[in-house]
Amino acid sequence: MILQIIWTSITSSSYYILFAVSFALVLKVTKIWNFAQPGFMTTAFYMMYWATNNLSLPIPLSLSIALIITILASWAVDKYAFGTLRRVKSGGFTFFIFTLIFSEFVAYLFTLLFGTEPFTVFPNIFSPVIPVGGIVVSYWDLRAVTITGILLAGLYAFLRWSKPGRFLIAVSNNDRLAELYGISSRQAYTLSMVLAGILCTFGMYILGTKIAVHTHLSLSLILFAVAATVMGGIGNVFSAAMAAVFLSLLQGFSVLIIPSRWQNLLLYFFFFMVIITMPSGFLSFVRTMKGRRE
Amino acid sequence: MKKAIFVLSVLVLVLFFFSADYTNAQTKEPYRFGLAMPMTGGQALFGADQVQAALWAIEDINAKGGINGRPLEAVVLDTQADPKLGISMATRLATVEKVPVFVTAWSSVVAAVAPVANRQKVLCLSVGANSPKIAELGEYVYTAYPLANVDITGVAKYAFNKMNKRRAAVLYINNDTGLYAARLYQEVFKKIGGEIVTVQSYEPTATDYTGALLQIKQSNPDIIHLQGLVADSPQVIAQMRQLGIHQTVTSYQGIYNQKLLDQLGEAAGDIIICAMAPDDMFHAPVKAYLERWKARKGRTPYGLPYTQYVGDSAYIVKALYEWVEAKKLPFTGENMRKALLAVRTFETPLVGKIIVNEDHTVNSATYLIRVVKGKFTYMDTIPAE
Repeated sequence: MILQIIWTSITSSSYYILFAVSFALVLKVTKIWNFAQPGFMTTAFYMMYWATNNLSLPIPLSLSIALIITILASWAVDKYAFGTLRRVKSGGFTFFIFTLIFSEFVAYLFTLLFGTEPFTVFPNIFSPVIPVGGIVVSYWDLRAVTITGILLAGLYAFLRWSKPGRFLIAVSNNDRLAELYGISSRQAYTLSMVLAGILCTFGMYILGTKIAVHTHLSLSLILFAVAATVMGGIGNVFSAAMAAVFLSLLQGFSVLIIPSRWQNLLLYFFFFMVIITMPSGFLSFVRTMKGRRE
Repeated sequence: MKKAIFVLSVLVLVLFFFSADYTNAQTKEPYRFGLAMPMTGGQALFGADQVQAALWAIEDINAKGGINGRPLEAVVLDTQADPKLGISMATRLATVEKVPVFVTAWSSVVAAVAPVANRQKVLCLSVGANSPKIAELGEYVYTAYPLANVDITGVAKYAFNKMNKRRAAVLYINNDTGLYAARLYQEVFKKIGGEIVTVQSYEPTATDYTGALLQIKQSNPDIIHLQGLVADSPQVIAQMRQLGIHQTVTSYQGIYNQKLLDQLGEAAGDIIICAMAPDDMFHAPVKAYLERWKARKGRTPYGLPYTQYVGDSAYIVKALYEWVEAKKLPFTGENMRKALLAVRTFETPLVGKIIVNEDHTVNSATYLIRVVKGKFTYMDTIPAE
């Protein structure tokens, strides 16, 4: 039972990882708490759903359409909304309010277009299973883990070894200094939003092939991404991914100890405690403590 | 010649009187009632179809002479399923339109408009909301739709008495839909001698149910009662079957939806659903009703059973007007309420018998639908008690 919960919690954290990394990346580079992300997630899902079910396109094509539209939406928000707000030197609160309004707008727009009925990418959500050493492993599990693994590895490689990736890190560390070295912080902001769009699209593909998605679901999912970002320590993109796995495991195991209705309370209590006692993030705190002992 | 003029004059006079009488029948003051439903917004998909069902019922009633020669008319107002807008619409119906009775739906809207109905002494008929709280909203708020106690009690008793299931597990969504029904199921099942081996719940925001399902698997029940929503129930059942839990699952009207079959296919396994309204599998008028939908709209209605109940609410209103008219009483909300409690049993075309109780609940039959090889099939009827 314990092994099964560990496995399922890890696989279920796959989309949370992508949403958390996406959120953490934009926050790291642009310093914006991007609550517009649920808007991109909703756009990605409904475009995929529309292309698969209304246009009867094969999933690679539907996924490509969703990717293009979500990237375009991310780019447009950065260029026309964030760009304008930056030009008029708006404060962080204005960005925050704008992003929230954007996501609500997108949710209501898609409610108008698709209704409130929840949809899945494919009509059938049942995934065949294979028993592996007493653990039930579904094809969906394998697909989710593989996609997430490839995307994270790709992002890591991009940030570490590619020129635009290194520029992104430079801007996130000190955008003014980066500008002095001829790195366009404007382009770095746009690039981080585009990368976030890609991660969100794949995250919604994984999610939408497992559960039914409705127009306001992304708004509740983003809280998990924020929790993981804060726990991982703001500025640590891959620590956010680890925090997402940890939170998923915490939720999975809590059912064995406490009734499910306490799950969210436990999650938010933990989140609350981390913010109060470890403002630089739980994982940074653990690393600091380890360093001190050594 | 004179004779011809005389015959022609008589003919003209007959035609005049006939046409005058006909015109008089057509211009008779209609009996009006309110229909406050979501016509726009997120719930419009369902609300508009429910209104359509009521309008067709009115069309049928009027085609057969209306209410003793007077037509029935609905004043349709849009609530957007928003409680605040619902209050405005109910106030308008009571004070501007001055209807003695109105039909509305969506539990949050019904709860919000209840004080208006009670204060203005206008009869409010809730059609569609199944929260038990609906029965406690005041003197002028009644339901014409069975509340959760009817189907949950029925299916718990059926599992014990007819299916010989002795050990039940309960899995519910932790919100208004799940909480009360799960508690009621446990109470009824234990009262008749059954054992509840485990009770598990999940949050509305949950995307994985493994922990709760493994607890159920360990408790090895004979039957599992699932009280979830149409959005989450298919994935709960999918994960259940993936984890090797193959027991029969019972559930309620909420998941009686083609989506369940589409999303699970043959992997659905054995599922028994309680439907609160008969469908075309075993009730001929519903077949004709669905054909009307296909002919006029080119599709079947969204939320079929709810449209059946809202459609039939026009027949309930008709019966109330007939009672008040027969008693020569003024058409007020007070008298409509008296009529409701005096008539109590309504034979309606799409739902069948609806019995309104003084305690503001409703009795009706429960229809058990079984998923067999990925298809809904009629199983049994639990008659209205």
